[in-house]
Parts: sequence; C-alpha cells; structure tokens
Amino acid sequence: MKAVYIAGAGMTKFGRSEWPLIPLAGAASLAALRDANLGKIPVDGVVVANMGAARINHQTALGSALADYLALCPATAEAVENGPASGASAFKIGCQAIASGMADAVLVTGVERMRVVDGLEGTDFVATLSQPDVEYIYGVTLPSLAGMFARLFMDRHGVERKHLAMIAIKNHENAMENPYAHIHQTITMEGILTAPEAVVNNPPIAEPLHLFDCCPVSDGAASLVLVSEAVAAKLGGRSVRVAGIGQATDSHAVHEREDPTDLKAVRIASEKAFALADLKPKDVDVVELHDAFTILELAESEAAGFYKPGTAHKAVERGETRRTGKLPVNPCGGLKAKGHPVGATGVAQLVELTWQLRGEAKGRQVKGAKVAYACNFGGFGNNVVATVLRREGA
Amino acid sequence: MSETVYGARCTSCETVNYPSRPVCRRCRGESFEPFEIGGEGKLLTYTDVYALAIDYETRYLRLAIVELDDGVRVTGQLLDADPKLGKRVKTRIGVVRQSSGGKPITGLQFVAA
Repeated sequence: MKAVYIAGAGMTKFGRSEWPLIPLAGAASLAALRDANLGKIPVDGVVVANMGAARINHQTALGSALADYLALCPATAEAVENGPASGASAFKIGCQAIASGMADAVLVTGVERMRVVDGLEGTDFVATLSQPDVEYIYGVTLPSLAGMFARLFMDRHGVERKHLAMIAIKNHENAMENPYAHIHQTITMEGILTAPEAVVNNPPIAEPLHLFDCCPVSDGAASLVLVSEAVAAKLGGRSVRVAGIGQATDSHAVHEREDPTDLKAVRIASEKAFALADLKPKDVDVVELHDAFTILELAESEAAGFYKPGTAHKAVERGETRRTGKLPVNPCGGLKAKGHPVGATGVAQLVELTWQLRGEAKGRQVKGAKVAYACNFGGFGNNVVATVLRREGA
Repeated sequence: MSETVYGARCTSCETVNYPSRPVCRRCRGESFEPFEIGGEGKLLTYTDVYALAIDYETRYLRLAIVELDDGVRVTGQLLDADPKLGKRVKTRIGVVRQSSGGKPITGLQFVAA
C-alpha cells in the first residue's frame, strides 16, 4: 500500500446549526482545504459521509452536490452511508484511492443535520440500522441495545454506575477546552448520581443508562484532505501519516453473537489496524473512542486491546484515561460532550487526532503525542473501523 | 395474525439462524428447515427504554434478550414486573407494534415461566 498523509483538517462547531446540509459540509471542507493549502494541486476526489440525509433532509447524492458547491468538478465524487461508521468508512475509501495510485488528493467530509427533526424521529431514523424483523419490530432503538449491553457487561465485570459517571464527567471536562464541542458544561458526581436531585437531573434513558450516559443529538461537519507521498512532499511540513486502518463486521442482530458483551468487530478491526501500522496498543499516546454511550468507551477500550477484559473500569477509577493520565481517551470530549452528528463523527475523531499529533490541540493537547488510535463504531458494533495515525519521524 | 415465529435450522450443522438467511452463519451450508422459535429460557439481559422509536404511545418499553433452553437467543418485549438477570421466562406471541398504517404487528413477548 502506498503511503497516505493527512494534509488538512477542519470542522464546524457541533451543536444546533441553522445551515443547510451542503453549506455545513462546505464550511468544514473549506477549513480543511485552507489548512492543506494545496495551491494548484487539484482535488481528484470527494467522498462524503452521511447517514440520514435521504430520510431527514430530503437530499441524496451528497458527493456530487459538495463537489459542485466547492467548484471541484470534474473531481470524482461519492457519498458513503455506513451507519454511525460512515465517517471512518469514507476516510478508508479516500485512503484506498490514494494508496492504489488512482488519486493524489482526496477530500473526505462527514456531515449530519439531525436537529431538523424531533427527538422521536431522530431516534427512529438511527434505529433503522437495527435488524428489521427480529429487533426493530419490537421497538429496539440504539439506546435500548446499549442499555441491554450495559446491564450484562456491568453484571459480568462488576462495573457500577459510578464508573460510567466518571467517564461522563471526564468527557464533559475535556470538552470545556474544545471550542468545537456541542456541550460546554461541567458535571459532578453529586449532580448526576449521588445527590437527591440527581434523579431529576439525570433521568433514565435505557436502564441502567441515564441521560448523562448518552451523547447529544448534534448537527455538524468534519473534513480531512488526504494526499499521496508525492503531494505531501510538495506541500512540505505536513507530518501526519495514516499508519493503519482495519475494518470488521459482526452479526446484524446482537442476540446472534456468541458472547453479546464481546465487541468482536472492534477487536478484529483494531488488530488489523495495528498489524498494518506495525504498532501495538501500548505504543499509543492518545485515543478517540466512540462513546455514543459511556459504557461503549469502557468496552471499546478493552476490545481494542488497551485493557484486559473486565479491567478498564479500574483504569477509569485510577484516572488513567484523563487527559493527563497514562492513556488519554477522548481529550476532545468524545461523542458524549463534543456531540455526535452521526455521519461526521468518524471524520471528526480523526480531525482531533490530526491536531493532537501536530501539537495544535491547544488547551486539550496531550503532551508529545506521536501515535494515535480511533474507533468508529457502526450499528451496535456490527461494523467497526479502527485507524492508527502516526506523526512522521516519530 | 401470525401465531408463530420461525428461524431456519441448517440441515448440515443444525445451527438455528434467527433471523433466517440463505447461508448458514456457522458452516455456510445452504439447506435449511423451518424452526419454530419459542419455549422456556432465561433472561440474559433487559432494559427499560424511554428513547423510543416512532409508532409507540407508551412512556417506556421493557425489552429483553432471552436465551431459550434449546440454545437459541431472541430479542423481544418483556412483560414481567420484577425482572432479574437469569430469571426463568417463557415466550408468547402478542402485538409488539402498530405499523405506521395502524396495522398490528405480532412477535415475541416474554412472561415469567
């Protein structure tokens, strides 16, 4: 595989946006293109990641729309819909275009505009990714899958609600230093768990998960410019290399998995990504996990190989995953507090890691970060993309 | 109203595929016989979910995954006021949803065994 570099990164603030879909995607794309400063080097391809536009924004063929909006025609263009893993899937396809030699510069943009519909319809559109005949008909939604997963996982490993609260508190705290985050609000253990008013502040969403275990519904876009080694050399000074990508699928219905608490696709995707990068989990300095629900940050950190099964909550208790800890997880605030515009998330994780590896993450910078890992978790773990990035020369 | 839920049992390795698929998830065999889903089993996990899909006019739904005694695992609605992990339950068929056109959709429900 030919080397692939990230030459530019940009995103919009996550939250509620009044901007239409393509201008929103365009804003993140222009930020990434300005950052890359390609000059006369043409963009060969555009890949847009999105999950719900056809359903909730009444728009399709987003790749072509964005290519024209940014005056990039006749660049190739397509849109990728792969559930919540759309972002990293689009990134992977962009990387493949460059690794194969078919392109030298590719724009990858993830976008979602979900706040145009009410909560019910928003939850329902994401729930359409579940198995229609044996899950969705019963009223299965993503929070319900996470709730059932959490109950079993917590019972098996002795995880308590306080551990999940620690993850939420950490991610909210991290987001305070991230101007792009949807939520800027610190929370406390008293306020969400131990004080009498916690039952009001933090109502149940899918027992044992409560409001502060779940990511918000966000609008937003994130964008990366990927380039070949030849282009990277011309641009100079750009130093983030795509070291490895891995992807794996698992059974559509969660109940068909041999062990429903085993995130097998995370494990396989991560092993593939690390093998391609010739690196190990212990080499990683900064991590972005797909914490659509707090329990997932815990379970993914084990399945990705950072902790042995059933031990991650102890590491959380010791503060290891805080920004200043041994293994900083979600220094940007994670999906929990940065927000989760579904199609944008996988790209946004890699935008954050690019900034971290370049030392440009300001108040949330993980000192001396050289190797970074991201997990973009699609479905309820039935399609996962893992990525390892590396600061060149590190 | 359909009174039975079916999976597909592979005639080569006997694995029950639920949902049915044309290729066995275990041995990739392509020959199946219908397999009636149901009976007694134990509660593997459950949740009370308040974040609901459209078509429901209730405050929350109690959903569960049950491991049936024949080894098949199923997702469905739990009608039990006092659920506990491992509790013995049995399946029944009931209305689990109204279609957007208002038609009742039937499926698996679990009650205490």
